[in-house]
Amino acid sequence: MKNKQKTMPVLEINNLNVEYKTLTDRIVAVKDISLKVGRKEALGIIGESGCGKSTLTYAIVDYLPKNGSRSGEVIFMGENLLEKSPKEMESYRGNRIAMVYQNPYSSLNPSLTIGFQLEEVTMFHQKFSRSKAREAAIETLTDLYMGDAAGIIERYPHQISGGMQQRVCIAMALLCKPDLMILDEPTTALDVTTEAVILDIIGELKEKYNMSLIYISHDIGVVNKVADRIAVMYRGEVVETSSQEAIFNDPLHPYTRALISCMPRAGVVKETVRLNTIPGYVTRRSAAETGCPFVPRCDKKRPGCEDRYGFTERKSGHFTACDRAYAEDVPERPVQIKKKEVKLPDNGPAPEHRTILQLDKIYRYFGPPGKRIRAVDGVDLTLDRNSVLGVVGESGCGKSTIGNTVGGLLRPTSGKIIFDGTDISVSWRKRSPETLREIQLIFQNPGRSLNPSFTLEAIIGRPMKKLLGINSGEERKKRIVDILKKVDLGEEYLYRRPRQLSGGEMQRAAVARAFSISPNLLICDEPTSALDASVQASVLNLLVDLQKESGASYIFISHDLNVINYLSDMIMVMYLGRICEYGEKHEVVGSPCHPYTEALLSAVPDVDPSIKKEAIRLEGSPPDPTIKIKGCPFAGRCHRKVGTVCDTTPPPKVDFSETHFSYCHIKPAKIEKKVMQAGEVMRTQEI
Amino acid sequence: MDFLERFLKRLGFMVLTMVAMSMLIFFLVEIMPGDVAQTILGQAATEESVAALRESMGLDDPIHVRYLRWAGGFVQGDLGQSIYMRGVEISSIFWRRVGHSMLLAFTAFIFYVPVSILMGILAGVKAGKTADSVISFVGLATMALPEFVSGIILITIFSVYLEIFPIASLIPIGQTIWGNLNILVLPALSITIVMFGYVSRMQRSSMIGVMSSDYIRAATLKGMPRRYVIFRHALKNALLPTITIIGMNMGWLFGGLIVVETLFGFPGLGSLTLSAIKTRDIPLIEACVLFITFIFVFSTFITDMAYAFLNPKIRFKQGEV
Ligand code: SF4
Ligand code: SF4
Repeated sequence: MKNKQKTMPVLEINNLNVEYKTLTDRIVAVKDISLKVGRKEALGIIGESGCGKSTLTYAIVDYLPKNGSRSGEVIFMGENLLEKSPKEMESYRGNRIAMVYQNPYSSLNPSLTIGFQLEEVTMFHQKFSRSKAREAAIETLTDLYMGDAAGIIERYPHQISGGMQQRVCIAMALLCKPDLMILDEPTTALDVTTEAVILDIIGELKEKYNMSLIYISHDIGVVNKVADRIAVMYRGEVVETSSQEAIFNDPLHPYTRALISCMPRAGVVKETVRLNTIPGYVTRRSAAETGCPFVPRCDKKRPGCEDRYGFTERKSGHFTACDRAYAEDVPERPVQIKKKEVKLPDNGPAPEHRTILQLDKIYRYFGPPGKRIRAVDGVDLTLDRNSVLGVVGESGCGKSTIGNTVGGLLRPTSGKIIFDGTDISVSWRKRSPETLREIQLIFQNPGRSLNPSFTLEAIIGRPMKKLLGINSGEERKKRIVDILKKVDLGEEYLYRRPRQLSGGEMQRAAVARAFSISPNLLICDEPTSALDASVQASVLNLLVDLQKESGASYIFISHDLNVINYLSDMIMVMYLGRICEYGEKHEVVGSPCHPYTEALLSAVPDVDPSIKKEAIRLEGSPPDPTIKIKGCPFAGRCHRKVGTVCDTTPPPKVDFSETHFSYCHIKPAKIEKKVMQAGEVMRTQEI
Repeated sequence: MDFLERFLKRLGFMVLTMVAMSMLIFFLVEIMPGDVAQTILGQAATEESVAALRESMGLDDPIHVRYLRWAGGFVQGDLGQSIYMRGVEISSIFWRRVGHSMLLAFTAFIFYVPVSILMGILAGVKAGKTADSVISFVGLATMALPEFVSGIILITIFSVYLEIFPIASLIPIGQTIWGNLNILVLPALSITIVMFGYVSRMQRSSMIGVMSSDYIRAATLKGMPRRYVIFRHALKNALLPTITIIGMNMGWLFGGLIVVETLFGFPGLGSLTLSAIKTRDIPLIEACVLFITFIFVFSTFITDMAYAFLNPKIRFKQGEV
């Protein structure tokens, strides 16, 4: 008996189906899924949003909305969970199957202390007394490297940082030493350095607690870090499963291939590679539909794909639902994805060395004196015409504030913004129409910046009329159609309203509006962060094309270094309102000179599992932005800290080349010697 | 301390509001047409006697002097004399009426708050089911029913047919309200009918919001039993918006019950105000209106503090970890 338990998978899902009934239709959310998770195995599930990843996990723990129904088998430790009553399920949840979700802040009850929320778990499941439960809570928190565990449990969720909150959520899941832990995008809301630490900890705890994991993410790179096996989901089906390496090196299903090749990653830059895109977007699946779910978007489809096809083992341990695409074309090894990417003809004009934008000691504070948040704390910057500046840093580093200040949404507290020779350090109301036209912004959430009650014609036409002075309706319409075509939205979109558009289409419309009045500077604030990988790729391609064509400059703000690396010419790394490092892309990414850049680069999860890099573990979180910092803002967390000089003296500007500088006390000579290993990886991967 | 700071700020704000409101009331009454002395003495009075009365009442003093005298009297508890009931000190009737009103407000409060909140929770938890439909329907129906209609229905049932409660809520001469507590029931019930809809609907929607939040999902998937999730995890957060609604209505409950009090003949602040207005008893109007204002401002203040106290996000500052 004991032996049998050892070999038995912890979780075995057989032909699981989940359907939602709506008034008019039956929507299939999970279709005929069979999966196994062995003891101590980590199964990663990837796919775009709306592919049924979360639904699958809710089906396991019987937490579907009222109109949802399941069929099939979910065998957990030998027992079919589909046959359990709601009362019986309570003893599984949080006890033997634990879950962690994307947003730690909203997953913790704001009005109960962290201690209370941890203690109740063992008090219910293990019948612990409060004091024993408290001990267990402290112990588990300590396992997660929370220094002051006894202090933390007295606090309320809003009193600790996001990374800490997620650790609390993980601790909560670990308390009863579950057999299976399900993590649903647990790091998506976190900063990349925090994410690296959490991923590390998860891996460690899996061993220590002898658990199996199901790890869900839209980001292959993140899944690579934890998973042994990966399942790719598309529209409710698992289309491919295999070991982690094989999914990247030898993907068999057209969707997996397309998904991997549309993600920007180390070594993929706009100069040499055009991102792959997948036409269309994920649609809902009605029960009437049969055949391959990928048919409408597949570039390999052929007659017969619409009929049912099988999930077969193509190679040992490598299952795929598509037996057509590569079976005949390329029997042995599929085409290398890297070769498939189209090379761009390199005929874009070289960045002309003429300054378009200059920031001179920009400060921007928020809040009353005493509680002043220094969002931007003395930033100097020059931006050339026809070049893309990528601004990267973690949340709260001031990158968006810089964008909003240049865009005129905020006035700088002090300092000068010179745009094309004129001082524009005023709010947009006081800017000339010419300046207003020349500087355009696009944001993460286009839904909020496009007036929902107007048609695209009106939305795009308004600035044309006001700022370009095109009064003839005919002329405007012609131009609007032109620009819509450029962003791949046909004439039929003229009279649509924002809510009739998908997320990607909305962002295209926002780009169209910005470019309709030929700006010279476009500020993009996380424009693709809310989009799925395939849609992100098409928007990034569009931005690259329009930039080449128009010669405008971009300030491209993102937390995602892969995206920044893909799109930028220059990169600026920010921390706590100040510049850490600035330089040309290959300089900053190839030979980072600031410890923070180094840590950031090391933390970026990679799509390619062969890139093994050790993430530098940054301790703690950024300091309180209301406290004035005398020395280096990074001193509290720096892994290369020189000494007390870092705390007391502002780091000097060190030039490494005409374009490359950083602010740090480390002697330049020392930096040359210390091979900053993260940069090395990015460099060798360049194609 | 964040909480203390908030407390002091709101307290200061409350005082400021009262000062501003008292000025507004004073000056509004001031610009009302009609001469007070003339009103008191009647149309037949001679010019001289009017002038003499004006003189003795200090009506010829500059306006700010009169305001300060009036407001100063208030602060010291001197509400002035009634005009209609010649020479009667307002405070002698006023505070008794306030006491009655308070008692009524209190009774109504303990009638409607628990019922509405409980029903609201039930409807929220069972959203979409029969229990919810029934409660929501009753809530909507009672909200649409004006007090004088529901009051008359109550009187018909309880006083006329069942004869349990008196038709009119009068206190026999020479007795106090303490011996006649049964007169409170019907007015309080009719207030309950008015408030039930508001409060239960508010509670229902905030319950639904909280129940669909991520932390309730997390608690459920931690394996906590449903009842425990509802009462331990959901309730405190779901009560916050309701407390605001209840608090904001406290002012109305004290001083705004003109219709209910008149209907039942209840000797409270509302009916006093009404009769003061009817008889143009200016000092009495001023006293009533100012006091009602005070109740409104004060209950907002209390609500705000209760809200801050129940909400740890306000009670405890963002900490550094
Ligand atoms: S079955 Fe056909 S449509 Fe589906 S992925 Fe394979 S080739 Fe494409
Ligand atoms: S100045 Fe000091 S603390 Fe700051 S990054 Fe450089 S070495 Fe680290």
